[in-house]
Amino acid sequence: MSSQADYKDREFLAVIGDEASHSPSQGTSRAPTQLLRDVFRIRRHRHADAVPLAQDSVTGLLLAGIGHITTGAEAQKNFLVVDSKTETTAIESAFDSFTERKDIGIVLINQHIADRIRHRVDSYTAAFPTVLEIPSKDHPYDPEKDSVLRRVRRLFGE
Amino acid sequence: MEHQEHIDSLLERYLSLLDEYMRLREDLSKLQSGVYQNIARANFTGERGMRYGQDHYDERMRAIRVLGIDEAGEEAVPRFTIRNLMADAAGEGEKDDEKAESKPEGGKADVTLSAQGDSEATPEADKTPEEQDENKAKEAEKKPKKTKKASRNPLHWYGLLAPLPLRTAQTLSIQAVEQVIPRLVSVNAEMEHVEIEIRRARKKRAKAAAVADKEALGMEAVEAR
Repeated sequence: MSSQADYKDREFLAVIGDEASHSPSQGTSRAPTQLLRDVFRIRRHRHADAVPLAQDSVTGLLLAGIGHITTGAEAQKNFLVVDSKTETTAIESAFDSFTERKDIGIVLINQHIADRIRHRVDSYTAAFPTVLEIPSKDHPYDPEKDSVLRRVRRLFGE
Repeated sequence: MEHQEHIDSLLERYLSLLDEYMRLREDLSKLQSGVYQNIARANFTGERGMRYGQDHYDERMRAIRVLGIDEAGEEAVPRFTIRNLMADAAGEGEKDDEKAESKPEGGKADVTLSAQGDSEATPEADKTPEEQDENKAKEAEKKPKKTKKASRNPLHWYGLLAPLPLRTAQTLSIQAVEQVIPRLVSVNAEMEHVEIEIRRARKKRAKAAAVADKEALGMEAVEAR
């Protein structure tokens, strides 16, 4: 199925996940009044508990200790934090980079982010690294979009 | 008939794998929602609007849980496992400590024995100050070096006293990473392997059926003559 060289050096899990885009520290370049408005909005939302502020897929997984940044001049991260400003091309290039790296064995990607690069995810067929779509805070697991279940349906002739 | 039985057994295996896959998916969803809830709770109770997110990531982070892939059996289906490097290091550290603890006792015994034997020959008082300094230096070298290893626990990115919900989030996340994700990926790989086997078996069955049809036609032709 695969040669030993294909997987023996693969020791990391990569993550492409969503994260909060409304953070007070992210507004450092904004005007102080805008910053204050942001802070108040965040405080208000925190208490309202209606609008989800944070989508912490990456933080949640990194807490388990799978995050890794290589040393050297070109430090490579094994995770990509996607927020509302992240462009699809950046997600595509991160996906390509993670699937080409020889030290990554599993790529974890939020299902709704995978939808943004669906053509790229579906056309990826290599055994290593293997791609696993995971749910996120606001986007629960959808079996209809799961590539494994689509394969199952194909096998049973649906 | 023989082909059909083989296909049925493969399908049975495939369905049991599918069942396990669905159960693991459910477990992963539960664990992850627990992680998100606890991070949200930590953010809610955080002092001065502290957000437990990417702003506090350590730019020199190193993975403490790494992947192990081995191929199980003759079928060469990859099996994924997660190894905790910190636990391995702690295990080695404990072994080193045990050795270090046993050594000084033995060392002391040796010293006392040699002291008994050599006490008359080389008493400490007879040594020159230079010799004493050399001995002290040697003893200092013999002592196990106590180096403080830098903590690689991601929880420490957010300070030494991380809130309880964040610790709970970490526990759940570890459970997902160590138990559910590797099994999920392994089951997926096994399902792919069984799918290939099913397709092969179906082709063989189709070929066998085609051959049987040809033979039947040949027999009919012979009978017609």
